[in-house]
Amino acid sequence: MTSRTEFISGRTGRGAAYVSDPSGAEHDRFMRLSARALLPLGLLASWFIVGLSGKSFEAARAEIGRPFPALALIVFIAIAAPHARKGVESIIEDYVHDAAHKETALLVNKWASIAVALLWTLAILLIAAPR
Amino acid sequence: MAQAETDGVTDKRPLSPHLTVYKPMLTMVMSIAHRISGVALYLGALLLAFYLLGLALGPGAFGAVSWIADGFVGHVIVLGFSWALFHHLLGGVRHALWDRGLYMDPKGRELLAQATLGGGIILTLLTWILSTLAN
Repeated sequence: MTSRTEFISGRTGRGAAYVSDPSGAEHDRFMRLSARALLPLGLLASWFIVGLSGKSFEAARAEIGRPFPALALIVFIAIAAPHARKGVESIIEDYVHDAAHKETALLVNKWASIAVALLWTLAILLIAAPR
Repeated sequence: MAQAETDGVTDKRPLSPHLTVYKPMLTMVMSIAHRISGVALYLGALLLAFYLLGLALGPGAFGAVSWIADGFVGHVIVLGFSWALFHHLLGGVRHALWDRGLYMDPKGRELLAQATLGGGIILTLLTWILSTLAN
């Protein structure tokens, strides 16, 4: 393949495009490990979440208030939130091209995933805490 | 990698057609479905955060979230969330198998794609039926 544009090396010129990006390996490793943990956790979480559907206020609180569902959901979101964050990071990197928009989107993604994890944990602890 | 795109040079290059000409195959549809289900789970987790917060803060706050949660839309959302979860989960299993080099032949690929789609639907139905029976 011949190129009609002059090749600019990442080391000598403005070719940041041609420098290798090794950050993919760490991303990949975390996604695979967290996916393994999320296999049983996801099945558990979906059982409890589907169980919540249609329940009244008292019944839902009684269900989440039990220690096993509460802990299962907390551990689930603790691992699912970083997993989801990295997944959406890949999506942003793929589809958002404007540099400023990409920075903003990555920032929003970071704090949204942290907020979701904290809100889940806080809400479940408030419900399950002994009076 | 970002700088190559903000040159403006890429705007002027012609693109060959892709989505408009490629015949949709199950394997590629399952691939993008894996990504779409992931985004759906992300948004669903956000909605569930509000629901759990409403549950935690008391009957008044719960009233604000329950009118959606108990309505038809709420049930559709939870149904969709559970389907997305099982589909994404089986998609992850599919990728884990491929990582080990298994089922990569043409028949194996197709089998895994079908198993992901069919298995996701079956697991969703199973969970909902069992949940209805248990409650």
